[in-house]
Amino acid sequence: MKVVEFKAVSKSYNGTRVLKDIDFQVEKGERLILLGPSGCGKTTILRLIAGFIAPDQGSIEIGGRVVSEPGRIVVPPEERNLGMVFQDLALWPHLSVKGNLEFGLKAKGFSKAERDQRIEKMLEMVGLREYANRKPGELSGGQQQRVALARALVLEPTVMLMDEPLSSLDTELNIRLRREVIALHKSLGFTMIYVTHDREEAFEIATRVMVMSEGEIVKVGSVKEVRNSLTSISPLIPS
Amino acid sequence: MSKKAILSLTVLLLVVAGLLPVLSMLLKSMVVNCSFSLEAYKGVLTSSRQWKLMGNSLKLASLVTMLTVVAGVPTGLVLEKTDLPLRGLLIPFFVVPLLIPPYILAVSWADLLGRDGLLAHSFGYSPALTNLLFGLPGCVFVLFSIFLPIPILLTTAFLRTIDPGLEEAGRLVTGWWGVIRGITLPLIMPGILLSAMLVFLLSFGEFSVPTFLRYQVYPVESFTQFSAFYNFKAATASALPLALVTLLLLFGETFFLKKHTYQLRPSPHHQGSLRIELKGHKPWVFALITGLVAVLVVVPIVVLVLQSGGLQWYQEAMRRAGFSLVRSVIYAAIGATLLTVLGFLTGYIVQRRALSCWRYVDSLTLFLFALPSTVVGIGLVSLWNTPWTNLIYGTPVIIIMGYLAKYTALASRILVTQLAQVPLSLEEAAQIAGAKWPRRMLFIITPLSRKGLAVCWVVGYLFALRDTGITMLVYPPGLETLPVRIYTLMANGSPQLVAALCMIMISVTVLPMALWLIPQRKGLDEGCRV
Repeated sequence: MKVVEFKAVSKSYNGTRVLKDIDFQVEKGERLILLGPSGCGKTTILRLIAGFIAPDQGSIEIGGRVVSEPGRIVVPPEERNLGMVFQDLALWPHLSVKGNLEFGLKAKGFSKAERDQRIEKMLEMVGLREYANRKPGELSGGQQQRVALARALVLEPTVMLMDEPLSSLDTELNIRLRREVIALHKSLGFTMIYVTHDREEAFEIATRVMVMSEGEIVKVGSVKEVRNSLTSISPLIPS
Repeated sequence: MSKKAILSLTVLLLVVAGLLPVLSMLLKSMVVNCSFSLEAYKGVLTSSRQWKLMGNSLKLASLVTMLTVVAGVPTGLVLEKTDLPLRGLLIPFFVVPLLIPPYILAVSWADLLGRDGLLAHSFGYSPALTNLLFGLPGCVFVLFSIFLPIPILLTTAFLRTIDPGLEEAGRLVTGWWGVIRGITLPLIMPGILLSAMLVFLLSFGEFSVPTFLRYQVYPVESFTQFSAFYNFKAATASALPLALVTLLLLFGETFFLKKHTYQLRPSPHHQGSLRIELKGHKPWVFALITGLVAVLVVVPIVVLVLQSGGLQWYQEAMRRAGFSLVRSVIYAAIGATLLTVLGFLTGYIVQRRALSCWRYVDSLTLFLFALPSTVVGIGLVSLWNTPWTNLIYGTPVIIIMGYLAKYTALASRILVTQLAQVPLSLEEAAQIAGAKWPRRMLFIITPLSRKGLAVCWVVGYLFALRDTGITMLVYPPGLETLPVRIYTLMANGSPQLVAALCMIMISVTVLPMALWLIPQRKGLDEGCRV
């Protein structure tokens, strides 16, 4: 079942085409990795799905419904039921860990009892139950990463968007959190679109990889298929 | 209400408070007996007196600008970049003259140097000294002391935006003098230019100091035509050249800034900028800077304290102007609150480019701020003085409208700077979480901007409190503010009474600022220790 679909989507910034007639689909429950060097258009794809920007050409569908058309956001971001982990995490510094998780639940009108229940369950899952009342600034890098994940997941989104969420971490923590992301995905079964420029990170997390270069898709396939074609596409992606 | 609707209403309010009055004034001045006429303007353009006044105004504004920039930029550099002792404490002192009604400083210097001044009483009357004060040199000096904080503040603010790495890279190849000349000054040039433009326009539009010090300038003409003769068309025609000069300078500034603005944002990982060690120069630089503070700030205040005599004059001042004082504080508090809201929304439009017209919104606020008060005041009267709008014209609402028109630029600029420090991703994360725009503004952007909002309120309060130019033209009968009351009492009140009133005015301005600054400084020190 298709959850996200791009139909001939193009996008330009200041006259430079950053996406060129992109077509792809994301199936329910898969972990699609967008892999490619900086500036290849990966983050633009996430921002288009999120609804922060509109395509210049083509259309985007989520759950079979057109959400963006050329130059027009049909469904605003707050109504797309998405989760997103930002590259800089974007944790609200004035709210506690619990407050960060609660904000979206309140906005969506959940009752106090339901909010508390969901938050407790999610904090338990990411191992941050005892940090509920801490502010983001009082947590380590890894803990902040988990808060960002929990904040996005607590809303049970249709699609989870992750924009290089582990790029600022050291190698050891990066590897540990990759495994946590996979474990969370397996237990919750959400659809995930994950942007990275790190080949190893991509191959470990993905169920499918989409390699991009200069605004175009150069290869889409399973991890095995992309690995096998590495010789032909390797100049395009960082090792 | 949607984001677009709220932001569009913000723009509409700005247009109604500021742009419509100016346009209405222009339109009315060009219509005689229901037909188009430029008769009023002919009088202005053909009168040699008007040209002479314009020449005086340009001369005064140019001299004040030159002096303030020449003194203010190095002072700003010293206060921000060197290891001068007490430099953090000196900046608020320099700012005091900017926060009180300009004519108060003129009164103080007249009390010191005038025919019946303190010096004349102690050492005998010196006509040369009095002649210097009452004329161009005196005007230049008083306006210099009032507007000096502008280049100082803008220099320090722009210096803080420079990535310390840029100067460090320069220090590897040259000394501090070379770095300042070749790197620092070119990078802060937009700030220096902005300060020069603001000082020029503010001195060009200032009329209370030149009037008091008997130097004839152009804005007085417009003010007199309106308030003394109630010749509305002549007043508008006289005001037009002021608006034209403002527009011309703003265009010039925009053109220059397009070419010379750099992306200056210090790296978040940086440990702070390098300080210039003054070493052996420290004593004389310290003496020079504190001497400047003493002459420009301390002396005028001490003179007013001495001139005001005993407690009985303060009691008399409160008896005669107590209600004006209360009104001033109430109007300023309301004005500051509305300015904070309007500035927040305007700042949001500009910083986030939330409406396609964001650039025009920014230019409009700056234009209205730079426009002489007489123009804004006459415009407000022109638009709202009708039988149907007495609810605005006959009440303090018109004063508040004047504050919004004139000072939104200040509020907006403060909050643009604040909003730039709130990453867009924090707002986007809230949006993804399902929060609509009002909720995002209320629970994410507002709490994260609280410091900027507090600064904005204090600045709005201080500027509304000191306002004389607009209030004097628009206040409804019996509802004058303290600065207006003092200005009118200057003509027939005793010097002691006027000095006491001036001291009360200074107190209500400076005390809240000091009360606000003390915890700020404490918090800053604690933050540094952490």
